[in-house]
Amino acid sequence: MSKPETDTSTTSNRAPVTTRWAIPGVAVLAGLAYLVVGLVGDNYPLAFGGLGLMLSIAVGFVVLARYSETFAGLRDRRDERINALDAGATLFAGMVLLVAVLVMFLVEIAQGRDGMPYSALGALSGVSYVVALVWLRFRR
Amino acid sequence: MKNVVKQLRGARGLSQADLGSELGVSRQTINSIETGKYLPSLPLAIALARFFGETVEEVFDVEA
Repeated sequence: MSKPETDTSTTSNRAPVTTRWAIPGVAVLAGLAYLVVGLVGDNYPLAFGGLGLMLSIAVGFVVLARYSETFAGLRDRRDERINALDAGATLFAGMVLLVAVLVMFLVEIAQGRDGMPYSALGALSGVSYVVALVWLRFRR
Repeated sequence: MKNVVKQLRGARGLSQADLGSELGVSRQTINSIETGKYLPSLPLAIALARFFGETVEEVFDVEA
């Protein structure tokens, strides 16, 4: 066997700070959004409960990333397999959401209503799919 | 697709975590590659082959 080469890493040793803190940061921002809209709408349980929940998710994610390779991979975004798992899980969640929207649209129509907002959400997802397809078609 | 990553890694006395660290992936990913559950991307397959001083074809058996 020949001597292993020195530079075989597919990525740098540490992910950028912006990448590492993206998910916790989004969770904190979502919590702050809950706080603001809750206070504006006089819905204090949502304001403080939502903020507490999202802060807990942010902290929990950071802590779990110290002990779990999967969470660490989701945080660093450096492991291609975990990125593929994340993409697959996101696709599955999106499909579940789309089916739920379509079912609710049918239920609304069957009950004699206009199907809103499910019809608009279904249309939005359809348009999003076409736009993404065209975008990816020219990028790959 | 079969591969000889486990044998090459074992011959060098490396753990899955060691190899993963060298290549910038997790121990789980190395394990999944060795067991054939995960087929690595072309860049990672090349990095694996280069690490062991082999060609991609010598590490990954496209016929299997």
